[in-house]
Amino acid sequence: MPLWFARGLRRGVVTTRYPARPDESAASLPTPPAFRPDRLTREAADRLVAVCPSRALERRDDLLVFDVGACTACGRCARAAPSAVNASEEFELATTDRSALIKKIPIRGDA
Amino acid sequence: MSPSQDETETARRLREAIARQFGRSLHIRTLDTGSCAVCEQEIRLLSAPHYDLHRLGFFFTPAPRHADLLLVTGPAIRAFDVAARKTYEAMPGPKVVVATGACALGGVYPADPFVHGNVGEVLPIDVWIPGCPPSPLALLQGLGVAVGRLAEKTPGLTFIAADPMGSET
Repeated sequence: MPLWFARGLRRGVVTTRYPARPDESAASLPTPPAFRPDRLTREAADRLVAVCPSRALERRDDLLVFDVGACTACGRCARAAPSAVNASEEFELATTDRSALIKKIPIRGDA
Repeated sequence: MSPSQDETETARRLREAIARQFGRSLHIRTLDTGSCAVCEQEIRLLSAPHYDLHRLGFFFTPAPRHADLLLVTGPAIRAFDVAARKTYEAMPGPKVVVATGACALGGVYPADPFVHGNVGEVLPIDVWIPGCPPSPLALLQGLGVAVGRLAEKTPGLTFIAADPMGSET
């Protein structure tokens, strides 16, 4: 008898909710970037904006405006500035409010 | 004009009543408005044993007339406008429209003579699921948000990385 079948009979429960438990495959997913404001300079931010293929980044003076909805998690910004950008590891991003996906990152690094 | 207290309260009650009505039997119709089909691959994975969306009471249906939820992918190509509108109108109310993937959210294609570049231009969107493609887990969470079973995480996220040394204010 297959193990999963025996386990199911013993537990008596056939279905689970979401999320029943953290999914181990989640760690391998590409995720949108998270930024380090203290490592971001205006020049670095401009470089990130230039390297983004999906127009998810825009610089407004000392703010880096990040549209998470437009991000394709390609990782080019993390490769362009590894010290200032890393993966956020957030993938459960569904929202009823499109503007909630637009995040403002302060630029506080010394030029 | 901003909604009054009464209107907000009515909207909240309506939302709850609709979520109750969808209960544990929600039928999904997918609509591809010109996607690269990777979103569709992830949507198909939802019915694989690992994700098993049927346990949560979600089902796919081939007909918009049987659907409660429209799962829209792709950048909304203009040639598809009529079909998208007809699909939406064919669905019985109450209905939920979910935009899926960076194309649908306006990320990948700028508006030009061929695409709107954002599904929100063609259909009234209730839930936005980012990702390129959104993983099946992200889709499940999006469906949970769409029927009011899961809370959104997005408003609380900053996408500002913590300083591992703790020197950041």
